[in-house]
Amino acid sequence: MNGTWHLLTILVTAVFTSNILLTNYLGMCSFLAVSKEVKTSLGLGTAVVFVMAVTCPLNWMINAWVLEPLHLDYLRFIVFIVVIAAFVQVLEMIIERVSETLYANLGIFLPLITVNCAILGAALFMIIRKYTLAESFLYGAGSGLGWALAILAMAGIRQEKVNQSKLPRGLEGPGIALVVAGIMALAFMGFSGMGGGN
Amino acid sequence: MAMKETPQMKSARANMRPGKLSLPGFLGDERDLARLLDEDNEAVKRLGLTHAAVAARMRELRDAGAKGLGEFIAVAPHFDVRVDSVRGRMPCPFGERGLYPKTNVTVRNLATGRDITYTDLHIHLVAAHGFYEGRGTPYRLEPADLAAILEIRPANKEETP
Amino acid sequence: MMTAFLIGLGVMCAMVLLMTLVILVCDATIANYGPVQIVINGDKEVTVEGGRPLLSALKDRQIFIPSACGGRGSCGMCKVRILEGAGDPLATELPWLNAQERRDKVRLSCQVKVKRPLRIEIPPELLDVRQYRTTVLRLRDLTYDIREVTLQLAPGDRIDFKAGQFIQFEVPPYALTDDPVYRAYSVSSSPSTHDRVELEMRLVPNGICTTYVHKYLKEGDAVTINGPYGEFHLQDSDREMICVAGGSGMAPIKSILMRLDELKSPRKVRYFFGARTGRDLFLVDEMRALERSLPDFRFIPALSAPEPGSGWQGETGLIPAVLERHVTSVANAEAYLCGSPGLINATVAALKRKGMPEDRIYFDNFG
Repeated sequence: MNGTWHLLTILVTAVFTSNILLTNYLGMCSFLAVSKEVKTSLGLGTAVVFVMAVTCPLNWMINAWVLEPLHLDYLRFIVFIVVIAAFVQVLEMIIERVSETLYANLGIFLPLITVNCAILGAALFMIIRKYTLAESFLYGAGSGLGWALAILAMAGIRQEKVNQSKLPRGLEGPGIALVVAGIMALAFMGFSGMGGGN
Repeated sequence: MAMKETPQMKSARANMRPGKLSLPGFLGDERDLARLLDEDNEAVKRLGLTHAAVAARMRELRDAGAKGLGEFIAVAPHFDVRVDSVRGRMPCPFGERGLYPKTNVTVRNLATGRDITYTDLHIHLVAAHGFYEGRGTPYRLEPADLAAILEIRPANKEETP
Repeated sequence: MMTAFLIGLGVMCAMVLLMTLVILVCDATIANYGPVQIVINGDKEVTVEGGRPLLSALKDRQIFIPSACGGRGSCGMCKVRILEGAGDPLATELPWLNAQERRDKVRLSCQVKVKRPLRIEIPPELLDVRQYRTTVLRLRDLTYDIREVTLQLAPGDRIDFKAGQFIQFEVPPYALTDDPVYRAYSVSSSPSTHDRVELEMRLVPNGICTTYVHKYLKEGDAVTINGPYGEFHLQDSDREMICVAGGSGMAPIKSILMRLDELKSPRKVRYFFGARTGRDLFLVDEMRALERSLPDFRFIPALSAPEPGSGWQGETGLIPAVLERHVTSVANAEAYLCGSPGLINATVAALKRKGMPEDRIYFDNFG
């Protein structure tokens, strides 16, 4: 029971208290650019969840079974990025096949998932925290869900409230988006009281 | 350090290369499209004008000169305008929808003796993108020249803070 | 030290190779759509390579959907009705489709990727459009800025078109250009010569195509064209004909006149040719010969700015005014106009003032 509870904690922490975007400030560029519309944000969020849930355990396995036994820790960054890049390529092909509309809406942001620092960040965090394979999977999925949650919330706010309001010219676009992101981050800090925020 | 270029700017610059849409291209000696747009924007502001006002005047003279059916026709107060066209249409290098007729408008200012030529596409480029072509192309529309030859006067200040 | 370095290098290469393999496998499976069937107008079936835009897939099968922007989605000309097999219109297509077109399932063929079998509908005339490889038979300068280009089709090949239609001329990459470019030109030869195509091309300063034709093209060169296109052509009726065209606009009119001559048509024809000065006149001898050959044809050139001292005795002024003077009754007439939108609008207005119904005015708008 303790084990399951522990795994669940990792998942919940990754989504809320240790939200990779709002707490750790990773993955901001596509977040700011795509969060104008809820539908596209949903698509991108799902794609990111998918990428993180698969590449985190994959990278864990490569790290544990190839890199560490051969003392090749210094290759970690490069190898992780290569894996992420390859996987995003495959994801692109899948999305293009399944939904032409989503593929066109995501546009350049689909290949940009590769350099989304949240993904590499999650992979490196799990190494630092010495997670197990199961923990890595849940941590990856959780971080992805946290990122998706943040971008969806932002899209909801922007689409419904911000786009309907008249703003001072200097604040339009990225200006107001960053202000809202800051307020959201403050709100999420309220979660940090929940067990084990890291 | 060059600003990161949006994909739209990048494809616009590619379309503006010589031979892509027109033989001389649109950029001439310019390398930095974004900087050219900024500089021309400043130039237009210094003249007390807006891109919309410049384009409106270009359009006005074109419409007046169209009656000449390809010949010079007198347009008040002291202009000769010729509007002729060739077959075909051109897309905008910035990539959005729309094809523009290849209409050449030549405006001769009889008071100063200067003349300038522009096309339908240029009217759109000025109005929608603030783009006056790069220095070094045969079609460069120097904002100061345009304003002087077409006699575009600044509108009275209407905006109240 | 060396071994550690080699192990590191080896693992790195192995990783990259493995990932490449994964991508290649996925590319061959997920991204590979294989051959896809397209049924056109209910009976013609073609098989194309899946995954490509419909426009280029059809072009590979020698079916030419008109396009001015080369498939970028910025001209809106490549519209096709897709009855079955395509998803929803993309955001790039919506600005080009009005509500009725959306109901009719019209799409932009350059934006639709062929993934599943499709049933489509295109105007049947497009199925007659073909690509032809030709050689330049003759280049002749008609005036200081108009060049006549005669293209000979490949031996055994033939082209069928109606007098007044146009073809697309492919300009290959040359000098400063990287990609081929297409420009439309009306055919000035008669449709009964099926093995050659004659064009009149006016030199436009800084024009990609005309610079190529006037400075680089030589007799014997290969030229690719496709066609025929266009709804502007000689109408099969016995009404009187009023033709208006100047400069290289003469091309379709010349084709029409030659056709009438071959048919020994008794129709009354008047051709008003607008130009600036005497230097812009050309093929006058040919026109005079047609005047003698056809029972009731008059060639009426009008100069808007004849050079003083040139001794010009003919009509002067702009075409709409000349029309006013010459055309008395339009009761049994139809009009063929070829020129710039300005000229066409002014001429149509003049004809309508005389009482000519719009559906008897045919024009080849440069636009």
